[in-house]
Amino acid sequence: MTNFRDIENLSAYLDGQLSESESKRLKIRLESDAELASVLSDLSSARSILKALPKRKSPKNFTLTRKMVGLKPPLPRTYPLFRLATIFATLFLVFSFSVNALSPYVSFSAPQFAFGYGGGGGGDGAAAPAAEEQPMTMMESAPAEEPSADQATEESLESQKMTEPPVEEQRQAEVTNEAVFSSNLIYAFLLISIIGAISMYVIRQNAKRKWQ
Amino acid sequence: MDETALINSAQQGDLDAFNTIILHYQDSVFNTALRILGDEDQAQDAAQEAFISAFQSIKSFRGGSFKAWIMRTVTNACYDELRRQKRRPTTPLEPETSDGEEIDSPKWMEDKNMTPAQKAEADELEHAIQHCLDALPNEFRTVVVLADIQGMDYSEVATSARVPLGTIKSRLARARLRLRECLRSFEELLPQTFRLDNEKSR
Repeated sequence: MTNFRDIENLSAYLDGQLSESESKRLKIRLESDAELASVLSDLSSARSILKALPKRKSPKNFTLTRKMVGLKPPLPRTYPLFRLATIFATLFLVFSFSVNALSPYVSFSAPQFAFGYGGGGGGDGAAAPAAEEQPMTMMESAPAEEPSADQATEESLESQKMTEPPVEEQRQAEVTNEAVFSSNLIYAFLLISIIGAISMYVIRQNAKRKWQ
Repeated sequence: MDETALINSAQQGDLDAFNTIILHYQDSVFNTALRILGDEDQAQDAAQEAFISAFQSIKSFRGGSFKAWIMRTVTNACYDELRRQKRRPTTPLEPETSDGEEIDSPKWMEDKNMTPAQKAEADELEHAIQHCLDALPNEFRTVVVLADIQGMDYSEVATSARVPLGTIKSRLARARLRLRECLRSFEELLPQTFRLDNEKSR
């Protein structure tokens, strides 16, 4: 009875994969063992039939196109620079624009103005403490002498003028506060973004054309 | 063809160099896929997939037998296709005459050096062998196709199939025995020159 180990060895023997000594031993056994010789013949015939199988010519060329393998045209070394500049310019543009748009609603320096100047630039909230200060000033000036009612009114008006900043100044401060980034800077960012985007497009198109 | 230079260029992304390699190996790759899958259309798809994936992963090739490496990609593509078939089995449409008889495969009609009798003989042989190959488990079929049809040595087959050398030896022996058994049932269908008994009596 031929065991599987022998069959394995016979198959390897056919392919010349046995060592010289193993081949010799197998040859001696084959001469005396008819069953082993029959198995070898079976394996050999199966092997030769497979080898005789006609080789087909491939029905088409399998050559690849750049599209098939997802290759992109090689871009010049300056391309990443343009890309970086465009990205940063766009980010700054969005940031500066947003900050400027939000500045009327958010007070950046209100506390300083409120305590120092009477809340000129602080908007409505900052103006309140200034108004509260007014009676204090009046209280301070009261004990010095006892002026008449008219004098008192005049003085109070004057002191009011002193504590409250002029309307024009107030408005100016508001305007300064609104534009955190100057419009020139925003235009510059916008220009860089547009030029960068156009340059990237042109570079890509040129690379594509050259590649094709 | 300086294969090493072409491989190096392909590893740098040179598609033209890789296409030259494809032209050299495409017949072997297609035949391997055809024998593993047993269907020409599927074999074409698998071969194309194999070449695409080979180009995309060519940087991972670290020397050795390039044929074994490319055969590994095609066997992987074939296994993917077989897994797909298992998930979504389909019935192939065989070309038939108006009487409902199967039309002879046109591939033999294309060979002008063959007589009609030879064509029929070769066709019969091919059908019988393919039938027996299809009956083998996938891993046995792959090994026997690579070793006996592609003529690769054991170490190349081991690289392609990603199994140890000892496993190749054992699978090949089992596959040959099973094929022998299967082909025995087709004895009378096989052309005279390929009768198994002939070899025995020689």
